[in-house]
Amino acid sequence: MLSRTMHDIRYNAVDDEVLVPNPFSNAILTFRGGADGQEPPVRIIQGPNTELNGPDRLAIDVVHKEIFVPNRGGVLVFPLDGNGDVRPKRAIRGPDTQIEGSSIAVDPVHDLFAVTGRERAILVFNRTASGNAKPLHIIRGPNAQIDRINQMAIYPEGKLLVVAMPGVQGDMEPPRVFVGMWSLDDDGDVAPKWTLTGKQTGLKKPFAVALNPEHKELYVTDMRLNGVMTFSVPEIFQH
Amino acid sequence: MALGRKRRWLVVSGVLAVTGLMMLSLWAAIPQEVRSRIAAAVQVHTRAGNLERKPLRYIKDPNPAWSSIAVNAENNMVVMTDENLFRVVEYSRLDNTPPKARFTEPKRIISGDQTRMEMLCGAYIDPKTLDVYVTNNDTQDWMPVFSRNAKGNVPPDRLLATPHRTWGITGDETRQELYMTIQYPSAVVVYRKTAANNDAPLRMLEGDATELADPHGIALDLKNDLMIVSNHGHRRFYGGAAVSTLEKETWEEWIGKTTADLNTLPRRYIPGAGKFELPSINIYARNASGNTPPLRVIKGPKTQLNWPSHVAVHEDRGEIFVANDADDSILVFKTSDSGDVAPGRMIKGPKTRVKNPTGLTLDVKNNELWVANMGNFAATVFPITAEGDVAPLRVIRGGPADQIGLMIGNPGAIGYDSKRQQILVPN
Repeated sequence: MLSRTMHDIRYNAVDDEVLVPNPFSNAILTFRGGADGQEPPVRIIQGPNTELNGPDRLAIDVVHKEIFVPNRGGVLVFPLDGNGDVRPKRAIRGPDTQIEGSSIAVDPVHDLFAVTGRERAILVFNRTASGNAKPLHIIRGPNAQIDRINQMAIYPEGKLLVVAMPGVQGDMEPPRVFVGMWSLDDDGDVAPKWTLTGKQTGLKKPFAVALNPEHKELYVTDMRLNGVMTFSVPEIFQH
Repeated sequence: MALGRKRRWLVVSGVLAVTGLMMLSLWAAIPQEVRSRIAAAVQVHTRAGNLERKPLRYIKDPNPAWSSIAVNAENNMVVMTDENLFRVVEYSRLDNTPPKARFTEPKRIISGDQTRMEMLCGAYIDPKTLDVYVTNNDTQDWMPVFSRNAKGNVPPDRLLATPHRTWGITGDETRQELYMTIQYPSAVVVYRKTAANNDAPLRMLEGDATELADPHGIALDLKNDLMIVSNHGHRRFYGGAAVSTLEKETWEEWIGKTTADLNTLPRRYIPGAGKFELPSINIYARNASGNTPPLRVIKGPKTQLNWPSHVAVHEDRGEIFVANDADDSILVFKTSDSGDVAPGRMIKGPKTRVKNPTGLTLDVKNNELWVANMGNFAATVFPITAEGDVAPLRVIRGGPADQIGLMIGNPGAIGYDSKRQQILVPN
């Protein structure tokens, strides 16, 4: 049930499960944590009531047991244990939201989620936002240096958003690529607090990020290298 | 006076706009290496600093991931696409890597940031000119064409803008047409063989009635006027035809006059309508277009289809050969097969060295079947009648015999399993 196109994956450490979207079948798949080989998912969210329309990315909140799915200019929220043709618990959508929705991450500690916005922006909403809600913060502008955003991750204890910036779409080796890090309190045209980029890193087109607070490591995939890099970044885990 | 100011403003605006366009064109024309140096001189601004450092660990497969293969028997020419190192490589048809050799050096490599190739997934050789046509999936919406002499980091001799997620490719030399599959939105698109730049396709096959479901491989049976398409089985629905404008005109009328980007066609999906279907081989009339159903479908548990990838047809034998990626097997069906049928033959087992086969083609002149294996960077050659767990006639390896491919391809996401301390990388 996995497609050759998978643009997100999240591990649920509480229930020991792995979640993956399948945009070609309008589905959210949940696998056992140790799943191996051609093992079927334990749950599938799919069906007309879900309103899913090409789900490409997702984020999970293991504290409040929710799945956040960007969906055609909005965000749908499902129960983490949802199975079958379930309705979203709530939807954030409408012109005031400014949601573009190519990536998303959730902070269950501070009750926030970050999602990509129109005109190259990062939007921060209250976790429980619903309907045509306005973002709490908008990071956008020349200082933000956002060309394109792929996967995002949040370190809740530090209220830190980590974003993969692979540069301009279609460019083979874009001139401006980096992993950018902002505080979830940032607002307006602000530069990232930290970046990870430069010749030493070897990064050419960073596509995805994941955090390991225990070992103070940042994992980055690079599309142009077809590789996975581990960086030691203790600075970002100090708070 | 006010009019004069307005005119002056218009002139200034025009000059600025033209200058801007010229700057953009100039920037695009600068070689990537120079652009990178320019970019390196312009640091990304931060508030607390750039954490520039070497990675602690780096997972990267140094070997190729063969994703497709094409053969021209008359010129002993074998071309493979490498989805890991972003290369087109050419070997001799008679190459055979000795068991103890690390790999066989290709005769020719086309690779680099000037080539417009990244996630290469399909290859076609023009039988007359020996030009190589390449499809890109996901990250480059182009079909580059390289001449017989192209080598190294060179721009394509021709470029055609293709829809996002184009995958399989084949040609009809009689009618001078190119056929390609689009993974999603599921479709088959047909171009003039000489199409370039933003030329519109001649026709598209798309819509609910087509039963296309994440199509990958494509082959033509010109003897019986058939088009064969493999499908992974992931499906979404439109409620009929895919493009809403077709209610008022035929596809041919619409495509003939549209200037729209094919990636932004006004498709009308039904939200929530998605399905996991069993993988299939769909057989259509060669010239099927619009929302046209298949003539027949090979689908069901007996077929053993599992991520069926590139396909090829042997017209005289009446057989369809399928690279069955997720089952480490090659399946052979009759072109007349329909429904839930078992393959007539299967090549599978440890002796075959078939491992995650995605590429497949036939050399009808020499009665050989060629398989490009993504899982062990080997091209394996079999007699066209091979069956069961048989050793290949020849093997062209791009990496060591005792290793397997990592198959990290376009890693668009990453996760961390804190319980097992494992990094999760979907591809």
